[in-house]
Amino acid sequence: MQSTGRSHEADAALAARIRSGDREALGELYDRYAAVSLGVALRVVRDRDAAEDVVHDAFVAVWQKITRFDAEQGQLRSWLLTIVRNRAIDRVRGARVAEDIDVLDELGALRSTANPTWEAAVANLSLARLRDALGSLPGEQREAVELAYFGGHTYREVAALTGVPAGTAAGRLRLALAKLRQLLTGTDAGPASAPPSVEPTAGAGPP
Amino acid sequence: MNEHDPMSRLPLDCTAVDELAGAITLGALEPDESRAVNEHLATCTQPHEELRTLLGANAALAASTEPVTPSAGLRDRLMATIASTPQEVAPAAPAHSTAEAPPPPPRQAAPSAQLSLPWWRSLFDPRSAGFARGFAVVAVAGVIVLAAVNLSLRGSLDDRQATLDRVASALSGGSVAYHVKGAGGSGFVIQRTSGPVLVAAVRPAPAGHIYEMWLLDAAGKPVSAGTFTTNGEIVAVPLEGQLAGHAIFAVTLEAHRVNAPTTTPIIAGPIGT
Repeated sequence: MQSTGRSHEADAALAARIRSGDREALGELYDRYAAVSLGVALRVVRDRDAAEDVVHDAFVAVWQKITRFDAEQGQLRSWLLTIVRNRAIDRVRGARVAEDIDVLDELGALRSTANPTWEAAVANLSLARLRDALGSLPGEQREAVELAYFGGHTYREVAALTGVPAGTAAGRLRLALAKLRQLLTGTDAGPASAPPSVEPTAGAGPP
Repeated sequence: MNEHDPMSRLPLDCTAVDELAGAITLGALEPDESRAVNEHLATCTQPHEELRTLLGANAALAASTEPVTPSAGLRDRLMATIASTPQEVAPAAPAHSTAEAPPPPPRQAAPSAQLSLPWWRSLFDPRSAGFARGFAVVAVAGVIVLAAVNLSLRGSLDDRQATLDRVASALSGGSVAYHVKGAGGSGFVIQRTSGPVLVAAVRPAPAGHIYEMWLLDAAGKPVSAGTFTTNGEIVAVPLEGQLAGHAIFAVTLEAHRVNAPTTTPIIAGPIGT
Protein backbone atom coordinates (compact mmCIF):
# COMPACT_ATOMS: atom_id res chain seq x y z
CA MET A 1 0.00 0.00 0.00
CA GLN A 2 1.10 3.55 -0.59
CA SER A 3 2.23 5.65 2.28
CA THR A 4 -0.40 8.02 3.62
CA GLY A 5 1.51 11.07 2.45
CA ARG A 6 2.11 9.88 -1.11
CA SER A 7 -1.43 8.65 -1.47
CA HIS A 8 -2.84 11.89 -0.13
CA GLU A 9 -0.71 14.00 -2.45
CA ALA A 10 -1.62 11.92 -5.46
CA ASP A 11 -5.29 12.11 -4.61
CA ALA A 12 -5.08 15.84 -4.05
CA ALA A 13 -3.54 16.25 -7.49
CA LEU A 14 -6.28 14.13 -9.00
CA ALA A 15 -8.93 16.17 -7.22
CA ALA A 16 -7.45 19.37 -8.60
CA ARG A 17 -7.50 17.99 -12.13
CA ILE A 18 -11.07 16.77 -11.75
CA ARG A 19 -12.07 20.18 -10.43
CA SER A 20 -10.62 21.73 -13.56
CA GLY A 21 -12.87 19.53 -15.69
CA ASP A 22 -10.27 16.91 -16.64
CA ARG A 23 -12.30 13.78 -17.42
CA GLU A 24 -9.23 11.59 -17.70
CA ALA A 25 -8.44 12.44 -14.11
CA LEU A 26 -11.76 10.97 -13.08
CA GLY A 27 -10.84 7.92 -15.12
CA GLU A 28 -7.61 7.64 -13.19
CA LEU A 29 -9.50 7.95 -9.94
CA TYR A 30 -11.76 5.17 -11.12
CA ASP A 31 -8.79 2.99 -11.99
CA ARG A 32 -7.40 3.56 -8.54
CA TYR A 33 -10.50 3.02 -6.43
CA ALA A 34 -13.18 1.26 -8.47
CA ALA A 35 -12.37 -2.15 -7.02
CA VAL A 36 -12.48 -1.08 -3.39
CA SER A 37 -15.61 0.94 -4.14
CA LEU A 38 -17.30 -2.07 -5.67
CA GLY A 39 -16.26 -4.15 -2.70
CA VAL A 40 -18.01 -1.78 -0.34
CA ALA A 41 -21.08 -1.45 -2.53
CA LEU A 42 -21.38 -5.19 -3.02
CA ARG A 43 -21.05 -5.79 0.70
CA VAL A 44 -24.08 -3.55 1.26
CA VAL A 45 -26.39 -4.29 -1.65
CA ARG A 46 -25.34 -7.93 -2.25
CA ASP A 47 -26.18 -7.74 -5.93
CA ARG A 48 -23.52 -7.32 -8.57
CA ASP A 49 -25.49 -5.20 -11.04
CA ALA A 50 -26.91 -2.97 -8.33
CA ALA A 51 -23.46 -2.56 -6.81
CA GLU A 52 -22.00 -1.47 -10.14
CA ASP A 53 -24.80 1.06 -10.52
CA VAL A 54 -23.92 2.42 -7.09
CA VAL A 55 -20.26 2.73 -8.02
CA HIS A 56 -21.15 4.42 -11.29
CA ASP A 57 -23.40 6.92 -9.54
CA ALA A 58 -20.82 7.58 -6.83
CA PHE A 59 -18.12 8.47 -9.34
CA VAL A 60 -20.57 10.68 -11.20
CA ALA A 61 -21.28 12.43 -7.89
CA VAL A 62 -17.56 12.95 -7.37
CA TRP A 63 -17.37 14.50 -10.83
CA GLN A 64 -20.34 16.77 -10.21
CA LYS A 65 -19.54 17.81 -6.65
CA ILE A 66 -15.77 17.88 -6.57
CA THR A 67 -15.87 21.54 -5.53
CA ARG A 68 -17.21 20.38 -2.18
CA PHE A 69 -14.09 18.36 -1.52
CA ASP A 70 -11.24 20.09 0.27
CA ALA A 71 -8.00 18.16 -0.20
CA GLU A 72 -6.40 19.96 2.70
CA GLN A 73 -8.97 18.60 5.09
CA GLY A 74 -9.62 15.06 4.04
CA GLN A 75 -8.76 12.13 1.86
CA LEU A 76 -10.38 11.85 -1.53
CA ARG A 77 -10.50 8.11 -1.03
CA SER A 78 -12.45 8.44 2.21
CA TRP A 79 -14.80 10.96 0.63
CA LEU A 80 -15.46 8.67 -2.31
CA LEU A 81 -16.08 5.64 -0.12
CA THR A 82 -18.45 7.63 2.06
CA ILE A 83 -20.48 8.42 -1.03
CA VAL A 84 -20.38 4.80 -2.17
CA ARG A 85 -21.49 3.47 1.18
CA ASN A 86 -24.29 6.01 1.59
CA ARG A 87 -25.65 5.46 -1.89
CA ALA A 88 -25.49 1.72 -1.45
CA ILE A 89 -27.52 2.02 1.73
CA ASP A 90 -30.00 4.24 -0.07
CA ARG A 91 -30.31 1.53 -2.67
CA VAL A 92 -31.22 -1.22 -0.25
CA ARG A 93 -33.16 0.79 2.26
CA GLY A 94 -34.98 3.09 -0.10
CA ALA A 95 -34.71 6.14 2.08
CA ARG A 96 -32.11 8.54 3.24
CA VAL A 97 -30.51 6.99 6.24
CA ALA A 98 -26.91 8.07 6.22
CA GLU A 99 -25.93 11.67 5.73
CA ASP A 100 -24.67 12.38 2.26
CA ILE A 101 -22.18 14.93 1.07
CA ASP A 102 -25.05 17.29 0.38
CA VAL A 103 -25.59 17.64 4.09
CA LEU A 104 -23.06 20.12 5.37
CA ASP A 105 -23.57 20.32 9.08
CA GLU A 106 -21.51 19.71 12.15
CA LEU A 107 -21.71 15.96 11.82
CA GLY A 108 -21.04 15.99 8.12
CA ALA A 109 -18.00 18.14 8.66
CA LEU A 110 -16.83 15.98 11.52
CA ARG A 111 -17.10 12.77 9.56
CA SER A 112 -15.41 14.27 6.53
CA THR A 113 -12.38 15.75 8.17
CA ALA A 114 -9.06 14.06 7.99
CA ASN A 115 -8.18 11.72 10.81
CA PRO A 116 -4.50 10.90 10.34
CA THR A 117 -4.54 8.06 12.83
CA TRP A 118 -7.22 6.08 11.06
CA GLU A 119 -5.96 7.01 7.63
CA ALA A 120 -2.45 5.86 8.47
CA ALA A 121 -3.87 2.57 9.68
CA VAL A 122 -5.82 2.13 6.47
CA ALA A 123 -2.83 3.04 4.31
CA ASN A 124 -0.29 0.93 6.11
CA LEU A 125 -2.15 -2.19 7.17
CA SER A 126 -3.03 -5.07 4.92
CA LEU A 127 -6.56 -6.11 4.16
CA ALA A 128 -5.98 -9.24 6.19
CA ARG A 129 -4.88 -7.20 9.19
CA LEU A 130 -7.93 -4.98 8.96
CA ARG A 131 -10.22 -7.96 8.70
CA ASP A 132 -8.47 -9.69 11.57
CA ALA A 133 -8.98 -6.63 13.74
CA LEU A 134 -12.66 -6.47 12.90
CA GLY A 135 -12.96 -10.18 13.44
CA SER A 136 -11.36 -10.01 16.84
CA LEU A 137 -14.09 -7.80 18.22
CA PRO A 138 -16.54 -9.49 20.59
CA GLY A 139 -19.32 -11.01 18.53
CA GLU A 140 -22.05 -8.70 19.71
CA GLN A 141 -19.92 -5.63 19.01
CA ARG A 142 -18.94 -6.80 15.55
CA GLU A 143 -22.57 -7.58 14.79
CA ALA A 144 -23.61 -4.10 15.88
CA VAL A 145 -20.97 -2.45 13.71
CA GLU A 146 -21.85 -4.53 10.68
CA LEU A 147 -25.55 -3.81 11.07
CA ALA A 148 -24.88 -0.10 11.42
CA TYR A 149 -22.16 0.43 8.85
CA PHE A 150 -22.89 -2.15 6.19
CA GLY A 151 -26.58 -2.49 6.92
CA GLY A 152 -27.29 1.20 7.31
CA HIS A 153 -29.27 0.62 10.48
CA THR A 154 -29.53 3.19 13.23
CA TYR A 155 -28.44 2.16 16.68
CA ARG A 156 -32.10 1.94 17.67
CA GLU A 157 -32.71 -0.45 14.82
CA VAL A 158 -29.62 -2.37 15.84
CA ALA A 159 -31.09 -2.58 19.34
CA ALA A 160 -34.38 -3.90 18.00
CA LEU A 161 -32.69 -6.38 15.69
CA THR A 162 -30.46 -7.74 18.41
CA GLY A 163 -32.97 -7.57 21.25
CA VAL A 164 -31.13 -5.18 23.53
CA PRO A 165 -31.94 -1.72 24.90
CA ALA A 166 -30.99 1.26 22.75
CA GLY A 167 -28.33 2.34 25.21
CA THR A 168 -26.71 -1.06 25.02
CA ALA A 169 -26.60 -0.92 21.22
CA ALA A 170 -25.08 2.56 21.34
CA GLY A 171 -22.57 1.32 23.87
CA ARG A 172 -21.60 -1.63 21.72
CA LEU A 173 -20.91 0.64 18.77
CA ARG A 174 -18.86 2.95 20.92
CA LEU A 175 -16.82 0.18 22.48
CA ALA A 176 -16.35 -1.59 19.16
CA LEU A 177 -14.87 1.43 17.46
CA ALA A 178 -12.68 2.23 20.43
CA LYS A 179 -11.34 -1.30 20.46
CA LEU A 180 -10.89 -1.32 16.70
CA ARG A 181 -8.88 1.84 16.96
CA GLN A 182 -6.77 0.34 19.70
CA LEU A 183 -6.17 -2.79 17.65
CA LEU A 184 -5.21 -0.90 14.51
CA THR A 185 -3.24 1.94 15.97
CA GLY A 186 -2.22 0.85 19.40
CA THR A 187 -3.78 3.91 20.97
CA ASP A 188 -6.82 4.41 23.12
CA ALA A 189 -9.78 6.34 21.83
CA GLY A 190 -9.69 9.12 24.35
CA PRO A 191 -10.09 10.03 27.95
CA ALA A 192 -13.62 8.74 28.19
CA SER A 193 -12.83 5.32 26.77
CA ALA A 194 -12.11 3.37 29.85
CA PRO A 195 -11.19 -0.22 29.09
CA PRO A 196 -14.42 -1.85 27.99
CA SER A 197 -14.12 -4.85 30.16
CA VAL A 198 -17.79 -5.01 30.99
CA GLU A 199 -20.54 -5.27 28.43
CA PRO A 200 -23.06 -2.49 29.03
CA THR A 201 -26.45 -3.69 30.08
CA ALA A 202 -29.81 -2.11 30.46
CA GLY A 203 -30.03 0.10 33.48
CA ALA A 204 -26.33 -0.06 34.06
CA GLY A 205 -25.72 3.58 33.39
CA PRO A 206 -23.50 5.00 30.73
CA PRO A 207 -21.35 2.37 29.06
CA MET B 1 -37.38 6.23 26.59
CA ASN B 2 -35.88 4.37 29.49
CA GLU B 3 -33.18 5.64 31.78
CA HIS B 4 -30.50 3.88 29.75
CA ASP B 5 -31.50 5.65 26.57
CA PRO B 6 -28.85 8.22 25.62
CA MET B 7 -31.54 10.44 24.12
CA SER B 8 -33.63 10.50 27.26
CA ARG B 9 -31.91 13.69 28.40
CA LEU B 10 -32.95 16.43 26.03
CA PRO B 11 -31.43 18.74 25.12
CA LEU B 12 -28.41 16.50 24.86
CA ASP B 13 -25.60 17.01 27.29
CA CYS B 14 -21.98 16.12 26.72
CA THR B 15 -22.32 12.75 28.41
CA ALA B 16 -25.14 11.72 26.11
CA VAL B 17 -23.15 12.79 23.06
CA ASP B 18 -20.19 10.77 24.27
CA GLU B 19 -22.43 7.75 24.80
CA LEU B 20 -23.52 8.10 21.18
CA ALA B 21 -19.97 8.51 19.85
CA GLY B 22 -20.02 5.20 18.01
CA ALA B 23 -23.43 5.78 16.47
CA ILE B 24 -22.45 9.32 15.52
CA THR B 25 -19.31 8.07 13.82
CA LEU B 26 -21.19 5.49 11.80
CA GLY B 27 -24.07 7.79 10.92
CA ALA B 28 -26.36 5.48 12.86
CA LEU B 29 -28.63 8.11 14.38
CA GLU B 30 -32.29 8.78 13.78
CA PRO B 31 -32.88 12.10 11.97
CA ASP B 32 -34.13 13.90 15.08
CA GLU B 33 -31.19 12.59 17.04
CA SER B 34 -28.80 13.76 14.39
CA ARG B 35 -30.31 17.23 14.64
CA ALA B 36 -30.01 17.17 18.42
CA VAL B 37 -26.35 16.16 18.23
CA ASN B 38 -25.73 18.86 15.64
CA GLU B 39 -27.29 21.45 17.87
CA HIS B 40 -25.16 20.34 20.76
CA LEU B 41 -21.91 20.31 18.80
CA ALA B 42 -22.65 23.67 17.22
CA THR B 43 -22.41 25.40 20.56
CA CYS B 44 -20.53 23.00 22.82
CA THR B 45 -17.23 24.24 24.18
CA GLN B 46 -16.00 20.81 25.21
CA PRO B 47 -13.49 19.00 22.98
CA HIS B 48 -15.34 15.66 22.83
CA GLU B 49 -12.01 13.96 22.37
CA GLU B 50 -13.40 10.45 22.27
CA LEU B 51 -15.77 11.31 19.46
CA ARG B 52 -13.01 12.96 17.51
CA THR B 53 -10.73 9.97 17.89
CA LEU B 54 -13.41 7.54 16.71
CA LEU B 55 -14.24 9.59 13.64
CA GLY B 56 -12.40 8.09 10.74
CA ALA B 57 -13.36 4.55 11.63
CA ASN B 58 -15.53 4.45 8.53
CA ALA B 59 -12.41 4.52 6.40
CA ALA B 60 -11.10 1.41 8.14
CA LEU B 61 -14.42 -0.38 7.83
CA ALA B 62 -14.59 0.39 4.12
CA ALA B 63 -11.02 -0.78 3.69
CA SER B 64 -11.84 -4.08 5.40
CA THR B 65 -13.95 -5.20 2.47
CA GLU B 66 -12.52 -7.37 -0.27
CA PRO B 67 -11.94 -5.39 -3.49
CA VAL B 68 -13.98 -6.63 -6.43
CA THR B 69 -12.95 -6.00 -10.02
CA PRO B 70 -15.73 -4.20 -11.91
CA SER B 71 -17.03 -5.49 -15.20
CA ALA B 72 -15.20 -4.29 -18.27
CA GLY B 73 -17.96 -1.97 -19.43
CA LEU B 74 -18.41 0.03 -16.25
CA ARG B 75 -15.54 2.39 -16.89
CA ASP B 76 -16.77 3.18 -20.40
CA ARG B 77 -20.29 3.75 -19.09
CA LEU B 78 -18.97 6.12 -16.44
CA MET B 79 -16.87 8.09 -18.89
CA ALA B 80 -19.82 8.39 -21.26
CA THR B 81 -21.98 9.69 -18.45
CA ILE B 82 -19.59 12.36 -17.26
CA ALA B 83 -19.04 13.52 -20.84
CA SER B 84 -22.56 14.88 -20.70
CA THR B 85 -22.70 15.75 -17.01
CA PRO B 86 -21.89 19.31 -15.96
CA GLN B 87 -19.92 19.96 -12.82
CA GLU B 88 -21.21 22.16 -10.05
CA VAL B 89 -20.01 25.71 -10.20
CA ALA B 90 -16.82 26.27 -8.26
CA PRO B 91 -17.19 27.90 -4.87
CA ALA B 92 -17.23 31.66 -4.69
CA ALA B 93 -14.24 33.39 -3.21
CA PRO B 94 -14.17 33.50 0.56
CA ALA B 95 -16.64 35.99 1.86
CA HIS B 96 -14.02 38.33 3.24
CA SER B 97 -12.43 38.80 -0.14
CA THR B 98 -15.60 39.67 -1.98
CA ALA B 99 -16.34 43.22 -3.01
CA GLU B 100 -17.77 44.08 0.30
CA ALA B 101 -18.92 47.49 1.33
CA PRO B 102 -16.90 49.11 4.07
CA PRO B 103 -18.14 48.10 7.49
CA PRO B 104 -20.41 50.60 9.12
CA PRO B 105 -19.25 52.38 12.21
CA PRO B 106 -20.03 50.58 15.42
CA ARG B 107 -23.53 51.38 16.43
CA GLN B 108 -23.53 52.66 19.94
CA ALA B 109 -26.37 53.78 22.09
CA ALA B 110 -28.97 55.76 20.23
CA PRO B 111 -28.59 59.52 20.25
CA SER B 112 -30.67 61.23 22.86
CA ALA B 113 -33.07 62.56 20.25
CA GLN B 114 -34.01 58.98 19.43
CA LEU B 115 -34.20 57.63 22.91
CA SER B 116 -37.94 57.59 22.71
CA LEU B 117 -37.66 54.94 20.03
CA PRO B 118 -36.19 51.49 20.49
CA TRP B 119 -32.92 51.12 18.63
CA TRP B 120 -34.37 48.66 16.20
CA ARG B 121 -36.86 51.22 14.97
CA SER B 122 -33.99 53.33 13.76
CA LEU B 123 -32.93 50.52 11.48
CA PHE B 124 -35.98 51.35 9.42
CA ASP B 125 -35.56 55.09 9.72
CA PRO B 126 -34.75 56.54 6.27
CA ARG B 127 -32.16 58.71 7.91
CA SER B 128 -30.24 55.64 8.92
CA ALA B 129 -30.93 53.56 5.85
CA GLY B 130 -27.26 53.56 5.10
CA PHE B 131 -26.80 51.40 8.14
CA ALA B 132 -28.57 48.56 6.49
CA ARG B 133 -27.09 49.19 3.08
CA GLY B 134 -23.66 49.12 4.60
CA PHE B 135 -23.82 45.38 4.95
CA ALA B 136 -22.91 43.22 2.04
CA VAL B 137 -25.02 40.26 1.18
CA VAL B 138 -22.66 37.59 0.05
CA ALA B 139 -23.13 34.11 -1.23
CA VAL B 140 -20.63 31.66 0.11
CA ALA B 141 -20.28 28.21 -1.29
CA GLY B 142 -19.85 25.08 0.71
CA VAL B 143 -16.71 23.22 1.31
CA ILE B 144 -16.16 21.09 4.35
CA VAL B 145 -13.28 22.39 6.37
CA LEU B 146 -11.53 21.27 9.49
CA ALA B 147 -11.76 24.79 10.80
CA ALA B 148 -15.46 24.35 11.29
CA VAL B 149 -14.89 21.41 13.51
CA ASN B 150 -11.99 22.80 15.43
CA LEU B 151 -13.67 26.04 16.23
CA SER B 152 -17.02 24.68 17.12
CA LEU B 153 -15.21 22.32 19.43
CA ARG B 154 -13.16 25.03 21.01
CA GLY B 155 -10.29 25.14 18.62
CA SER B 156 -8.29 28.23 17.99
CA LEU B 157 -6.69 29.85 14.98
CA ASP B 158 -5.01 33.18 14.63
CA ASP B 159 -6.88 34.54 11.70
CA ARG B 160 -10.35 34.74 13.12
CA GLN B 161 -11.93 36.52 10.20
CA ALA B 162 -10.56 34.12 7.64
CA THR B 163 -11.62 31.26 9.84
CA LEU B 164 -15.06 32.73 10.32
CA ASP B 165 -15.40 32.93 6.56
CA ARG B 166 -14.38 29.32 6.23
CA VAL B 167 -16.77 28.16 8.92
CA ALA B 168 -19.61 30.07 7.28
CA SER B 169 -18.61 28.65 3.94
CA ALA B 170 -18.56 25.14 5.35
CA LEU B 171 -21.99 25.45 6.83
CA SER B 172 -23.65 27.32 4.00
CA GLY B 173 -23.50 24.59 1.39
CA GLY B 174 -23.81 27.23 -1.28
CA SER B 175 -26.75 28.96 0.40
CA VAL B 176 -26.96 32.68 0.77
CA ALA B 177 -25.26 34.05 3.86
CA TYR B 178 -26.07 37.48 5.26
CA HIS B 179 -23.19 39.37 6.76
CA VAL B 180 -23.92 40.92 10.13
CA LYS B 181 -21.54 43.22 11.95
CA GLY B 182 -21.28 45.59 14.83
CA ALA B 183 -19.17 46.80 17.69
CA GLY B 184 -19.22 43.36 19.26
CA GLY B 185 -17.94 41.35 16.34
CA SER B 186 -19.17 39.96 13.06
CA GLY B 187 -20.80 36.91 11.60
CA PHE B 188 -23.09 35.41 9.05
CA VAL B 189 -26.71 34.37 9.13
CA ILE B 190 -26.92 31.37 6.85
CA GLN B 191 -30.16 30.18 5.34
CA ARG B 192 -29.67 26.43 5.43
CA THR B 193 -32.19 23.84 4.36
CA SER B 194 -32.48 22.68 7.95
CA GLY B 195 -33.09 26.23 9.14
CA PRO B 196 -31.18 29.45 9.66
CA VAL B 197 -27.92 29.40 11.59
CA LEU B 198 -25.81 32.21 13.01
CA VAL B 199 -22.06 31.72 12.69
CA ALA B 200 -20.30 34.50 14.52
CA ALA B 201 -17.18 35.65 16.28
CA VAL B 202 -18.26 37.99 19.02
CA ARG B 203 -16.64 39.21 22.18
CA PRO B 204 -17.17 37.09 25.29
CA ALA B 205 -20.37 37.77 27.15
CA PRO B 206 -19.82 39.26 30.59
CA ALA B 207 -20.47 36.97 33.51
CA GLY B 208 -24.14 36.54 34.20
CA HIS B 209 -25.19 37.66 30.73
CA ILE B 210 -26.31 35.98 27.56
CA TYR B 211 -26.60 36.96 23.95
CA GLU B 212 -30.09 37.01 22.55
CA MET B 213 -30.82 36.82 18.82
CA TRP B 214 -33.62 38.79 17.21
CA LEU B 215 -35.53 38.72 13.96
CA LEU B 216 -37.31 41.94 13.06
CA ASP B 217 -40.02 42.27 10.48
CA ALA B 218 -40.43 45.20 8.11
CA ALA B 219 -42.48 47.03 10.71
CA GLY B 220 -39.67 46.74 13.19
CA LYS B 221 -41.35 44.24 15.46
CA PRO B 222 -38.72 42.04 17.12
CA VAL B 223 -39.10 38.34 17.79
CA SER B 224 -36.60 36.43 19.87
CA ALA B 225 -34.67 33.84 17.84
CA GLY B 226 -32.91 32.19 20.77
CA THR B 227 -29.95 32.78 23.03
CA PHE B 228 -26.35 31.72 23.28
CA THR B 229 -23.21 32.35 25.22
CA THR B 230 -19.60 32.35 24.15
CA ASN B 231 -16.19 32.70 25.68
CA GLY B 232 -14.96 34.35 22.54
CA GLU B 233 -14.72 31.33 20.30
CA ILE B 234 -16.54 31.19 17.00
CA VAL B 235 -20.03 29.83 17.51
CA ALA B 236 -22.64 28.31 15.22
CA VAL B 237 -26.13 28.68 16.65
CA PRO B 238 -29.37 27.48 15.05
CA LEU B 239 -32.03 30.19 15.08
CA GLU B 240 -35.48 29.60 16.41
CA GLY B 241 -37.88 30.59 13.66
CA GLN B 242 -37.37 31.32 10.00
CA LEU B 243 -35.88 34.26 8.13
CA ALA B 244 -38.89 34.55 5.82
CA GLY B 245 -40.97 37.56 6.74
CA HIS B 246 -38.13 39.28 8.56
CA ALA B 247 -35.86 42.06 7.42
CA ILE B 248 -33.26 42.50 10.13
CA PHE B 249 -31.21 40.18 12.30
CA ALA B 250 -29.61 41.44 15.49
CA VAL B 251 -27.90 40.19 18.64
CA THR B 252 -28.15 41.97 21.96
CA LEU B 253 -26.56 41.39 25.34
CA GLU B 254 -29.13 40.58 27.99
CA ALA B 255 -29.11 39.51 31.63
CA HIS B 256 -31.64 36.82 30.75
CA ARG B 257 -33.98 35.96 27.92
CA VAL B 258 -36.41 38.79 27.33
CA ASN B 259 -39.33 39.50 25.03
CA ALA B 260 -37.85 42.62 23.48
CA PRO B 261 -34.30 43.95 23.25
CA THR B 262 -33.15 46.05 26.19
CA THR B 263 -29.74 47.04 24.81
CA THR B 264 -28.31 48.17 21.52
CA PRO B 265 -27.17 45.33 19.26
CA ILE B 266 -23.60 44.13 19.29
CA ILE B 267 -24.07 42.94 15.72
CA ALA B 268 -26.92 43.46 13.28
CA GLY B 269 -27.69 43.50 9.58
CA PRO B 270 -30.32 43.02 6.93
CA ILE B 271 -31.39 39.51 6.06
CA GLY B 272 -33.28 40.32 2.88
CA THR B 273 -32.17 41.43 -0.53
